[in-house]
Amino acid sequence: MFRLAIEKALNHMINVNSINIDRLDNSLVSLYVDDIDLKLFFLCLNSRIFVIENTENKDANVDITLNKNAFLSLFKGTSFEDLIESEDIEINGSIKTAQQLADLFALSSIDIEELISQYTGDVIAHQLGRTIDRIKDASAQDKDSFIEGLKNEFTTLLIAPSRSKFFKKRAS
Amino acid sequence: MDKTTHFGYKQVDVEKKQGLVKGVFDSVAGKYDLMNDVMSMGTHRLWKNYTISSSNVSEGDQVLDIAGGTGDLAIKFRKKVGESGKVILSDINGSMLNEGRKNLLNHGIIDVDFVQANAESLPFEDNTFDCVSIAFGLRNVTNKDIALQQMHRVLKKGGTLLILEFSKVENEMLKKIYDLYSFNVIPKFGEFFASDEDSYQYLAESIRKHPDQETLKSMTLDAGFGFCEYHNLTGGIVALHKAIKT
Repeated sequence: MFRLAIEKALNHMINVNSINIDRLDNSLVSLYVDDIDLKLFFLCLNSRIFVIENTENKDANVDITLNKNAFLSLFKGTSFEDLIESEDIEINGSIKTAQQLADLFALSSIDIEELISQYTGDVIAHQLGRTIDRIKDASAQDKDSFIEGLKNEFTTLLIAPSRSKFFKKRAS
Repeated sequence: MDKTTHFGYKQVDVEKKQGLVKGVFDSVAGKYDLMNDVMSMGTHRLWKNYTISSSNVSEGDQVLDIAGGTGDLAIKFRKKVGESGKVILSDINGSMLNEGRKNLLNHGIIDVDFVQANAESLPFEDNTFDCVSIAFGLRNVTNKDIALQQMHRVLKKGGTLLILEFSKVENEMLKKIYDLYSFNVIPKFGEFFASDEDSYQYLAESIRKHPDQETLKSMTLDAGFGFCEYHNLTGGIVALHKAIKT
């Protein structure tokens, strides 16, 4: 769910804003957050980004290793150069490619802290509360949409808790 | 060379399987959606929503839904691709396509194309689609390797294949409950709701004969896909394999 949420947010942003990611095309970028042992691979093909876990033994073009704080900083728009200078981030491969991916993170407005907390499951109750609020709003507007809202929201909650409207609002 | 294959737990001649599967789906087409809701207690909608969510399909994309049956995935894909995109619903079975056509019309959708086609010989040019999906259809295909190669062929570079299919349950306790339910309850539901116990007995058997998660992943990579990952849903009762053409 964590990977899917990041993948959806990045692609949504690329589509909505027509961002050119040609320089990333055909790249496989590995990103390792060492203190939480989180490893992600970003595969860029045909102006799409895939976030994958397993590369079938294919080598990444660029390896990025960083700690959790630096990872969070990337999504908050902290200067990539500053992170490199502070030695919080280690890059093997093209720095330009790594920078373009980091720029996408910064533009995406993903609430990465929220996602990481969802990763541990402690935000489920919080999301349930928000879901009920939204259903109340929907029912006030339209009785028919209440049932649809109920189905959609519980679908989201049950199968993809990280894919929620509050997240989409932040990504758009 | 082995010229037999499985049809549920029975061994049948390879050339006969397609006709036998056709018989099953001709029989169940009219009650297909109802039976899906009954058998899965509605959970198939969640699995399909997750599939759509994983697809990365966006406005303007070309999508092929193989074994699309009554069209529930095609309806959702059509919403995502918009008017500038295209969705093609294909199925080998004419009865299922007719149900799909009715269902889409009931949803006010008139611009999805319907193609009666065998997944083993897709009538589309190379590198045509951004996404190919097959939900609960691959296990009925006789030559799965050939079908996967065809799906790879018609996808564009960077295109995504989504295979939603029954798979292997991981938890032993859940497996026992699931087996009991599949072999004792589902055929009875089939008899009660669709007057067809045999077809639903086949369903339960065909699920057990379908490759498990890792085997299907290997088959997908062997078909030419650069990457393939799967996600178990509901404890592995169903798995979504997502493969990328590189």
